[in-house]
This record gives sequence, C-alpha cells and structure tokens, in this order.
Amino acid sequence: METKVKSKALQQFQEATETLVNPELKKWMEQGGKVMALFCSCGPEEIITAAGMVPFRARAAGSTGTELADAHFASIICSFTRHCFNMGLRGDYDFIDGAVWLNTCDHARRIYDNWKRKVDTPFVRIMSLPKKTGEPQVEWYRDEMAILKEALEEHFGVEITDERLWQAIKTHNETRRLLRQLYELRKQDNPPVTGAEALAVVVASTAMPRERFNQMLKELLEDLKGAEGIKDYRARLMIVGGILDDPGYIKVIEEQGGLVVTDSLCFGTRIFWNDVDEKAGDPLQALAQYYIADRYSCPRMFQDYPRRAGLVRDMIRDFKVDGIIGERLIFCDLWTIEHYQLGKEFKPEGIPYIQLDREYVLGGIGQLRTRVQAFLETIGR
Amino acid sequence: MVTEKDKQKRRLAKFIEERDSYEAMAKAFGQSPSGTDKLYAPLTEAYVGQHNDVIRAAEEGLPFVASYYGCQPEIYVAMDLPWYTFLTPVFTNAMNPNMGDEIDATESLFGKDLCTAFRVAGYWVEKDLAPLPTVVIAMLHPCDASLMAHQLMQTNEIWGKIPMFGCDPPYWDDERSLDYYAKETKQMISFLEEHTGRKLDMDRLREVIKESNKMYELWMEYNELRRAVPCPHGFGVGLQAFGVALNILVGDPRGTQWFTDLVDDAEQLVREGKGKVDNERVRMFWFDVVSLGLSLDLFPWLEQEYGAVNVMDMFGYCPYTLIDTSSEKTMLKGLAKRALCDAPMMRQARGVADNWIGDIRQVVKDYKINCVVWPGHMGHKDGSANVGMMRETCRELGVPFLHIGMDNFDERYTTTAEIKEMFSRFFASMGLV
Repeated sequence: METKVKSKALQQFQEATETLVNPELKKWMEQGGKVMALFCSCGPEEIITAAGMVPFRARAAGSTGTELADAHFASIICSFTRHCFNMGLRGDYDFIDGAVWLNTCDHARRIYDNWKRKVDTPFVRIMSLPKKTGEPQVEWYRDEMAILKEALEEHFGVEITDERLWQAIKTHNETRRLLRQLYELRKQDNPPVTGAEALAVVVASTAMPRERFNQMLKELLEDLKGAEGIKDYRARLMIVGGILDDPGYIKVIEEQGGLVVTDSLCFGTRIFWNDVDEKAGDPLQALAQYYIADRYSCPRMFQDYPRRAGLVRDMIRDFKVDGIIGERLIFCDLWTIEHYQLGKEFKPEGIPYIQLDREYVLGGIGQLRTRVQAFLETIGR
Repeated sequence: MVTEKDKQKRRLAKFIEERDSYEAMAKAFGQSPSGTDKLYAPLTEAYVGQHNDVIRAAEEGLPFVASYYGCQPEIYVAMDLPWYTFLTPVFTNAMNPNMGDEIDATESLFGKDLCTAFRVAGYWVEKDLAPLPTVVIAMLHPCDASLMAHQLMQTNEIWGKIPMFGCDPPYWDDERSLDYYAKETKQMISFLEEHTGRKLDMDRLREVIKESNKMYELWMEYNELRRAVPCPHGFGVGLQAFGVALNILVGDPRGTQWFTDLVDDAEQLVREGKGKVDNERVRMFWFDVVSLGLSLDLFPWLEQEYGAVNVMDMFGYCPYTLIDTSSEKTMLKGLAKRALCDAPMMRQARGVADNWIGDIRQVVKDYKINCVVWPGHMGHKDGSANVGMMRETCRELGVPFLHIGMDNFDERYTTTAEIKEMFSRFFASMGLV
C-alpha cells in the first residue's frame, strides 16, 4: 500500500529515515553548521535552534547490531538503548557536536551515564524532567532550560537572546502547523498518504535543518493537493506507543490491509498537536509551559493519563479509527501499564486494541504479519 | 450479594494472613532468644503491631495511608496515621512456595518483564485484594515501575476513587533540588490534612525526627562495627535495620532500643573477635535489596560452604545525614534529603549513575570488600544499565564483580541451584576460596 503521488520531497523524507546523516543535514554540516542530538522529544529543541544548531532527535537508523553496547548492559535493557549506544561506541555519532538527555525512562537515562564515560562527544548534558504537570513543575523546567541555555552559550560561545528564542519558537511552531495540515489529509476517507509515509515525514522533521524541512513539507503538501487517495484498505488503524521511528514497521502493518491513519507516538502527534504560546511574556516560560503542561505527555507524566486517553479518544472520532495497535519495546515498563490501561478503557467501548511487543530494529516480520492479520479479522475486516 | 463488609474482609485477608504468620514467628523468636537472633523478636512483634494498626483502622473506618519508606513516613507517624507499603507483602511472600501461582496470574494483565513486585501488587489492586486506604502517597521514583503502578491505581474502578498525591522527584541532589522537594513535601502535608482530617503538629514531627535521628546515629555506629574483620553479623541484618528505621518503627523509641541492642550485640562480638563465620574468606557487597526468598538457603550456604559473608548490602548501607530540627523549614528540607539522597535505592537509582558508582567505591574501601555482587533483579532496569560501569569500577578497585540476573520474588527466573553454581565457579575462578 503506498501513495500514488510522485513527490520529490516525500522521497527525500523517506530517505532521511534510513540513515542518521541525511543529505540535508550533510549539507548543513559541510557549511560549518553544528548538530545537537536530543534523546527525548521533551528536550527543548527551540533552544538548540536558537543557538544556531540543528536539533537532531537521536535514533539508531541503520543499526544492525548491539555487539559493543551489550558489554555495558544486562539483557533486560531495551533495544533502543542498546542500538543507540552501540552507534555511539562505533563512532556513528561522531558527527554531532553535543547531546542532551533527559531522565526520560530507566533505560534511556542511562545512555547518558554510559555515553559520557565512553563516547567522546564535546558537550553532554542531562536535564531533570519533572514527572508531574503542575505549575511548580513548569517553573522547575524553566530553570532547567535556563541552565541548559547558559551551558550552551558558554560552551559554544553563542548568545541565545530572547529574540532568537522567539524566532526559533515561530519556526518550530510552523513545523507543527504544517504537520497538522498533513494529518488533516489523513482524516479523509481516502487519505493521500500512508501511515508509513507520514511517519517518515515526522521523523525527517527531527533530523534536518528546520527551515529547510518546513520548505520541503510545504512542497509535499502542494504535491498532495488533489492527489488520488488510498482506497484499497481493510481498516483504519491508530498506532499508540513510544519511540517508533521506522516506517518499515508500519509498512508491514499496512501490507496486511490496515491503513494507519493517525497515532500517539514520540515521532507523531504528541510532538506537534499543539503549539508553544507565541504571545507569552518570556520565551523560556512559554517553552516550559509547552513541554510540561500543554503538550500531550507520554506515560512518564504522573496523573496525566486522562489527557492522554482523551487524545486517543479524539483521534478515534476525528480519524474514524477502527482499531488501535499499541506498540511497545520489550522491557518498557511505562508502556506495559499504559497499554493495559488503554486496552481496559477502549475495548469495552467496542474499540479493538492489541498490544504488539517489538524490538527497536524491525524483525520477526512473519509473526507481526500474522498478528496484524488476526487483529484485522477480529475487527471484522 | 456481596456486601461492603465482605469486600473489606477480602481486601484484608492477605494482610491478616501475613500478620498471623509474623505473629507465629514473633512467638517463636520470643521463646528461644539467643545471640543475634534475639533481635528478631521485637522486630517481628512491631511488624505485627503495624499490621494490627492498619487492620483496626480499616475495620473501624479510621484514616490510614498506603505509601513507601521513601515518602517521608515520619510525617504519617507524627500525624498518628497508620500506614502500610503495598509492596511489602510481595517482599515477605517471596518465601512463600505458592507465590509462583500468583505471579503466573499476573501475566495475562501485565506480561512478564515488568518488575514482579509491582506486577503482583498491581494485580492485587486490580483484583481488589489489598487494604483500601484513605489516601495514597505515591512514590514517583526511583523506577518506572513504581511510577506506573500508581498510575494504574488511578484508573482502577475502586482505587481510582482514593485521593492520591506524589512528590515530584528532581534528578539532582543539590540545594535547589532539596528546596523544590521540600515544597512538594509541604503540599503533601496539606493534602494529608485535607483528606484525613488530621493536623500535623510541628512539635510532634520534631519529636519523631529527633527519635529517628537517634536511630540513624546508632545505625551509623553499627555500620562502623561491620567494618571489623571478621564481620560480626551476616546477611539480612542491614535489611532489618532498614525495616526498623524506615518502615516499622519510624521515630519510635522502641526502634531506638532495637538499634541500641543491635550495636551492643555487634560490639560484643567485635570485642571478642567473633565473626558471623569462623573462617571468613569472602567479604561481599550485595548491591541490591537482599531477597528474602534467598535468605533461607543461599546466604547460609555461602557462609557455611565458602566463608562468604554479606558484609554490606544496598539497604544496610547508611550514609544518613541527621536532620536539623530547629525549624519547620530545616525539618522539611532534611526530610527531603533523607527521601531523595539517603534512603536506599532512592539514593542510588533515582539520579545519575555517579551516585551508584560512588557507593561501590566507598563501600569497597570502607568495608574491606573483596567481592561485589550485582544480583540484577529483573525489575531494576536502571541498575542493569550500569553493569558495564560497575564492572569497570570493580576492575579499577581490584575487586571481582559478579552479575547474576535474577528475580527477587520468583525463584524460577534463576533458581537458587543455578545461583549457587555461579558462585562456586566465580569464587574458584577469581581465586577467592
């Protein structure tokens, strides 16, 4: 299942998901541009942009093994952590000028500890991300961002003025608005893009200079105008989960006839479904408010489940979702409980919900196909 | 028709069963007190008493709290609120041979790789098999499983109606973090007052903290004695000290007496040059909670077979700073520090791995450790991501390091026989025995 649209921009986005350094990023670096890796979508990418760098969402695209990282972790550590750290140890991340972590989860937060001891990256930091979404937490995170800003200024000899921050916020908000426009098209009965293609676009948004991405996404949206939509699907699906950045995974699902029309993912709606307030008095305050309170959270944010479930509920309605696939990286405690809760909430309402465990690098395709086929049959399609 | 009374009875059943088994133990310890064993009797009696307080509160409709040692229990004690840890029965049941069936039953809900303690506790919540408290004070650290277990409660039909509060844990240990956590603690007090109808009297809190300070002083003194070669006591005593100071007799003069007796006992043994074993050859640092499931078999075997003594463990290690009781501000900040930076597991697992590695360096040096063991409980993911760092640190220190990989609550994950085999090979290949 794929779109019939011929779009150069889409092709470039798809290529960008296959490697770490895509041609646009390469061009940026060749011009002397700097790159800062962020290991969680709660990292304030606007501050990195305001510092004149490209915020690059860390992934392990193209990784084929974890042989070097395995010596550092017990077997119960998730494969995202292993593959990322392995790429760090192999030197695949030598292109970055720095990296910022957050205490996201028990696995990813330890990449920082291992990385700072073993990988020679000039600037490494970890930020303390609150686990609640109230006012004191917004204040705390504002301070964390101020500390990061100061560290960036000192290390890289740049000045991150309020003006630059506001400009960065505008640029990133534009990305968010454009991505929402793309998702609007997916509400149609015959969406012009597949779920795999849409994921590629979102992933690319986190991997190249932002202004260039916005320009390319505008081109894609233009290409999609009046495009023939996808008709040959059995059911409209939503994907819910954490760090899914591989369009290949969704492609396998779609090959079985389940068209993925929306999501709640770290590389999905959670990072662009609402905007940073451009009218607030202080840019750091606006960013803290966005990242802690306004943005749709992942399960690590305590007492925010009703809002997360609310997002899923809205999506089911707006995107005419027939069933939900909850994807989970093996050993992820956050999503174990969240999927259990979501399933418990939606199944009695007649919304089919299946949890599929996976490894970070796509494998076990036969089993995935079988489970998706069975799921589509239970939906009655 | 199932009445509310029937439901309450069912919720208390496991708790009462546990109380009864500890009552029998307390009786047995009380009848034949000898040597270090005499310390068990007051501890088990107090544990029974804590259960009784909760049972009474549940039966009489009085307020009580479900919470954790890492959530400033001094405050509940000062407010005269009975409290229990909803994970404790999972720990104590690790010795129960029927635990396997219960663990298996959780699989259909939560799969297999979530920490077994939280899996079972979560299962009890979902099946309405745990005492239903007036309020829950959640622990949002040190691990994802703890955070999620509380979110699970909130979507449960019955537990979701129970008011819940959790202090937000910062990742750092600095003054800014402590001030932030102290403010969160203040909010927690307001929450408790609002939902339990009890008021916190700061003078009473001062009394409780002063008493707990005495315990921590004695605990530090006791740990000094454990530096002796041979070590006067073996496995499990550290866990008991933790149980007394942070769980069962928080800020209670009976706890202080228990620590006084503990110090006296150890002092006498050190003076006489007596160790836990006659021929102490291996001085282990068990860097995790000591599994009760292993306490009846593995640890006695290690002592007898190899002269391998558990000189220190994560829960017995006590680098506590005493709390300044001069004002409300200093007390809350002190409690914040105790909860974040001192309490075992919170101290090591919550923040950056430097805390973790720092403890290994310190304990190896202070306690003349010649073998570090990372049991690697399947729920301890953050620690399991430190394996490489631990191994390298031990290499630097010239101390052998053993990583097991086990489940503290499920013997089937790695059997005791397999663990014994690992130890035998490890000791032999490292030339420790």
